[in-house]
Amino acid sequence: METVLSVNKLTKNFGKLCAVNQLDLEVKRGQVFGMLGPNGSGKTTTLGMLMGVVNPTAGNFSWFGEPATHLTRRKIGAVLEHPIFYPYLSGQKNLELNAMIKGADPTNIAKVLDIVELTVRKDDKYKTYSLGMKQRLAIASALVSDPIILILDEPTNGLDPMGIAEIREIIKRIANDGKTIILASHLLDEVQKVCTHFAVLKRGNLMHIGPVDDVGKGEEIVEVQAYHDDLGILLQEFAGSATIKKENGIFQVMMKDGFHSKDLNRFLFDKGIVASHLATRKKSLEKQFLEILADAK
Amino acid sequence: MLHLLKIDLKKMTSYRTFWVICGLYFLTLGFTTASGMEILKWIANKSSEFGASININRIPLYHFPDIWQNLIWISGLFKIVLAVMVVISITNEYQYRTLRQNVIDGLSRWEFLQSKILTNVMLSLVSVGMILSITLLTGFIYTPKIEWEFFFVGAEFFIAYFLEVFAFLSYALMLGVLVQRSGLTIVLLMLSHMIEAIIKVNLFRENWSGNIGWLQQFFPLESITNLVPLPFTRYALQEIQDYVSITAVLIALGWTALFNYFSYLKLKKSDI
Repeated sequence: METVLSVNKLTKNFGKLCAVNQLDLEVKRGQVFGMLGPNGSGKTTTLGMLMGVVNPTAGNFSWFGEPATHLTRRKIGAVLEHPIFYPYLSGQKNLELNAMIKGADPTNIAKVLDIVELTVRKDDKYKTYSLGMKQRLAIASALVSDPIILILDEPTNGLDPMGIAEIREIIKRIANDGKTIILASHLLDEVQKVCTHFAVLKRGNLMHIGPVDDVGKGEEIVEVQAYHDDLGILLQEFAGSATIKKENGIFQVMMKDGFHSKDLNRFLFDKGIVASHLATRKKSLEKQFLEILADAK
Repeated sequence: MLHLLKIDLKKMTSYRTFWVICGLYFLTLGFTTASGMEILKWIANKSSEFGASININRIPLYHFPDIWQNLIWISGLFKIVLAVMVVISITNEYQYRTLRQNVIDGLSRWEFLQSKILTNVMLSLVSVGMILSITLLTGFIYTPKIEWEFFFVGAEFFIAYFLEVFAFLSYALMLGVLVQRSGLTIVLLMLSHMIEAIIKVNLFRENWSGNIGWLQQFFPLESITNLVPLPFTRYALQEIQDYVSITAVLIALGWTALFNYFSYLKLKKSDI
């Protein structure tokens, strides 16, 4: 697969503070790449360097296999941190300005306004927009040049659940169009739902990089509940139990290699117990994320 | 180039403050330069109350070729209004962080600065055009007998005037880029002449015309002022400099280039 972005030993120091430390990354065409990390882990600084607004202290990067210039940035749609527009201009005029800078076809504007469902409010001044509308306009502006790659930094920050769902839908639709997306977020659930690959940053260091599908591989957790007082003790007798935890009245059994939920079900059945709840859980990204950060300490 | 100018004008032309400030600038500039005769009449009237009589017809304020330098010198006083507009335009980009988004969208920092400089060129040219038409209009009205061989004597002051406005706007742009806050920048802009005067007084104390006095003309704001010297003292029978000094033009050009270069350096080096 063609490499869209390649980052090599990228470093940024703010005085004594090292915001990004010797970062190596590679993003390939068609990936939805999640960048995770707690607040202040260097996500936005990294994206800022990739988009030419923060000068790197050391290291380099290339877009589409060539060294980055302002012209390569025109092929990228990006929103960093929060939406930035001229408050006294209407949504339409702001997008016209974006299109002029990017050298994009102005007829795209109607199309992208439609995608983010802002056509009705396009002639109102930007400063009258709600936060959700501002975020959506930002996505529209990133899409206006029909970019090959899209960079979104916390696109659902501060939105209500409906707004979050709307933005997620938009991102999924864009990803289905085959665009490469780099998504920085600290909402792990979100990354797990939309991303194909992810990287974890902590205090400027890269802690982990890999496909989202690998999360939870090799380990199986089975949730069990049954109307039996000594279920916990019984479960310990089961040969496939690695560890057992009880959460909200439900037992979570981490399985040893080679054991699966059906083995546990049979075991219970043989003991004359009928499970009222039996479910296989993959390890969530959240868990893996916390483990990665904990390992780093 | 034109594309960059269009980008900046697109930001400005839907901005009400821009139209209000430019409107006020051109109105006050137009009315002041066109109503010099009325002001003279008023002065004559006042002084006759004290028993002194002034024959205003003997002061050729609006006569070709005096009119060129007279009106241009007056117009130079108004450039501060345009400079404030320039400061608002650049500091808005910092305050709204739109400079950052412009760069993310694909303008280089130099292109961004160019778009601002080109607007400065345009504002200077419009000022020149405005004064040129007022000069021609009032000149033809008030000059009793036009002597064509002297008609264009002093018309080169328009080049000096263009440079005077453009240099000052470049200075304002640089202050905006360096300070980034509109209020503070405007105060500094207003006090610039004063601050320069204080520095000069302390440097040249007792040495105004001595061996280092000639250095004065190299001060940035002084160099802008020197482009069009005060003409009115000639009506009190004093000798004036009624031509554009090439040295003054070269020094002002040098400063203009430096102002814009400093803006460029600052933009290039900072994280935005």
